[in-house]
Amino acid sequence: MNRKPRKKECSGALNSVRIIDLTRVWAGPLGTRTLADFGAEVIKISDPRVPLPTIGRVTNKLNRNKKNLGLRLDTRSGRNLFFKLVSISDVVIENFRPRVMRNLELTYDVLHKVNPSIIMCSMPGYGLQGPYSEYPAFGSTAEAISGINSMLGYNKDKPLQTGLSYADPISGLNSVNLIMSMLRKRLLTGKGSHAELALVDSPLGTLGEYFVSHSAGIQNGCIRSNKDQNITPHGVYRTKGEDNWISLSIQTNSEWNRLVNMIGDERLKSSDMKDATGRKNNEPLIDFCISEWAIRMERDSVMKLLQANNIAAASVQNNLEVFEDEHLNYRNFFTQLTEKYYGQQTYDGQSMPGNKKPKKEWFPMKELGEDTDQIVNHLLGLKPQKAEISKDAK
Amino acid sequence: MTHLSTEGKHLPLEGIKVVETAQGVSGPACGRILAGMGAEVIKIEPPYNGDWSRKVGPHLNQDNPYESSALFLYNNTGKKSVTLDLQTKREFNKLNELVETSDIFIEDWDLNFRKSFIFNLDMFSTNNSNLIELSVTPFGLSGPYAHFRSSSITQLALAGILNLIGEKDREPLMLPGYQPEYLTGINGANAIQIALWDREFENAAGKFLELSILETLANLHQPPLDMDGQVRHRSGHRQSPLSSKGFPPGVCTLEASDGSVTFGGGSQAIWEQLCLMLNRTDLSENTSYDNVFDHPESGVIVDKIMEEWMTEKTKREVFHEASSQWMLPVAPVLDIDEILSDPHFEFRDAFQSINHPIAGKALYPTPPYMLENQRLNLRRAPLLGEHNKEYL
Repeated sequence: MNRKPRKKECSGALNSVRIIDLTRVWAGPLGTRTLADFGAEVIKISDPRVPLPTIGRVTNKLNRNKKNLGLRLDTRSGRNLFFKLVSISDVVIENFRPRVMRNLELTYDVLHKVNPSIIMCSMPGYGLQGPYSEYPAFGSTAEAISGINSMLGYNKDKPLQTGLSYADPISGLNSVNLIMSMLRKRLLTGKGSHAELALVDSPLGTLGEYFVSHSAGIQNGCIRSNKDQNITPHGVYRTKGEDNWISLSIQTNSEWNRLVNMIGDERLKSSDMKDATGRKNNEPLIDFCISEWAIRMERDSVMKLLQANNIAAASVQNNLEVFEDEHLNYRNFFTQLTEKYYGQQTYDGQSMPGNKKPKKEWFPMKELGEDTDQIVNHLLGLKPQKAEISKDAK
Repeated sequence: MTHLSTEGKHLPLEGIKVVETAQGVSGPACGRILAGMGAEVIKIEPPYNGDWSRKVGPHLNQDNPYESSALFLYNNTGKKSVTLDLQTKREFNKLNELVETSDIFIEDWDLNFRKSFIFNLDMFSTNNSNLIELSVTPFGLSGPYAHFRSSSITQLALAGILNLIGEKDREPLMLPGYQPEYLTGINGANAIQIALWDREFENAAGKFLELSILETLANLHQPPLDMDGQVRHRSGHRQSPLSSKGFPPGVCTLEASDGSVTFGGGSQAIWEQLCLMLNRTDLSENTSYDNVFDHPESGVIVDKIMEEWMTEKTKREVFHEASSQWMLPVAPVLDIDEILSDPHFEFRDAFQSINHPIAGKALYPTPPYMLENQRLNLRRAPLLGEHNKEYL
């Protein structure tokens, strides 16, 4: 493989990998954030005419550890500069609709001519080909068309959305595996390659057992609220206070016996409920008795009590409680970054274990074009006047 | 489109040997991803009953349930199965021999199990300095919850995901199936891929990788968790707000004549385009994206207008009209059977028909990627102990 020696700017497993990031919003930026947390040099390219989104600091959260280059891809000089960058990079990643890169004439065929070892990862909503491929898609619409919502809700007639744009994070995580596979393949073959990861394909993979059983003629994909097909009790129960809930699930008969002893309700001591089938048949009564018991209890003390008796139970935490969670904080999950406009902020860390960039080297999201001079003058070694041209290209 | 051959030397993880003792979904999903990428994955199962997911219904063949669990079949495609009773010294040593000559070891032994098990479980990565060992547990191997019991619903509860799903005045809802475990499986495969790169490109030693389901889930919130001190409430059929500002009206799931349709959004441009489609530009002139919360009732009013607009249309008619004529991010809510017969997924080979000697034929989702326009080719899950002769 024709790899130019590179000065190591930072540590982490991926410190020798340079990635050009054209992705926007969530799925793509989550993937490249992960690679950046492991030391990859991620250069995010932003259109200088379009301010970075500011809503809720979401963009800040997802774009730490990335450089920002302000560059128009639709001008001659911007395009030339982009090609120079491609020629010294390992990966180009984008999540436009297919026609955007086609119209810009920046398809893999073109980039491959500039750099035969370039790896390109396309993350369009519906994929590069197929009847819906030019339709726009978001994480929220992708979770609808790929089955998640059909199984979510209080009753069968009214499916709900997760509200979380759930296809995005699945796809973001999948992109890391895909890019690492392509990098590895290049180690073996010396050649670049092109791959695609459609947003709508990702949730299919987290519902695999439903497709296997349904295609074999067995129906098990109906809306079931929080119920489990085999396990009773399984769900959430309201505790004391406003909007406080405890979640629990009972898997074995001995767990059930311990729960019944704790609750002390005679109705639950029936021999009809001693095994899973019996409990499933008595589900409404069981849920009713647990609800009656739980509503008088403090949420967190129920969790402690049940866990002390080896029962899977947990408080339903809201975002602020997760932020303060004692376990996550004990394990130093969070990370502090000092931002220009917002000051010191605390963000989620990197759940993926391994040789990450040390936290002292982490940096907050860069402003639009903040690294343009450094990249144009130093990285690409263009003379100052040429850098001026690229500035005009903004 | 064709499937990439698993026989040729084309797959990225060709030549990588993986041993997997993990059971259920998280660890096995990770092993399945690696097998799909060409790794040789040897699944170690307890004799007689095998991986516990073999017991989970539905089963495709009632006469032989342990060989026909949909959950097991899906999560173990492309693997070999070897049975070992790890409670016996001889067979535990056999595991160690297999791991000593492997690149990757995937296990799910939590702290309680590690401490109580009759043999030392902490020596695998010491015995093989090139070994990448992935430990997959609900909470990791340290911290106040490390001894806690858990299941999918309690994981989603602690991670703050459950609290976001459902109606504000009703109970929070969990995600279907085994979402926390699947996402952790993907995260584990990512960690292994990066550790392999570190080992082979940067000449780093092997690693002990400690992955937790809770931390995986805590990464999946779109806005920062502290959200400027605001509690993020359940938003029912609407998309969850990313800040106190929220979304403009019309970003929600509503009923068409034959089912539901989800409308994506979050920008002034999409809001204006939606109003154009509804032939109600007066709305976007009166209620702009920026002052949506000045008019909390506007969401309800717009819901009604949208449902009236599509009362005579099917969900697919709404989908095609909004997507192709108005370039709006809109999609129908499809159920499992509708997806299996959808022309787009069919065109893209999103599913592969696999025959299994006991479970028979079924459709399996292929890995979500296409490398060089090709899907990866899956091979069926193994029978319990099918490869004992090959490895023991």
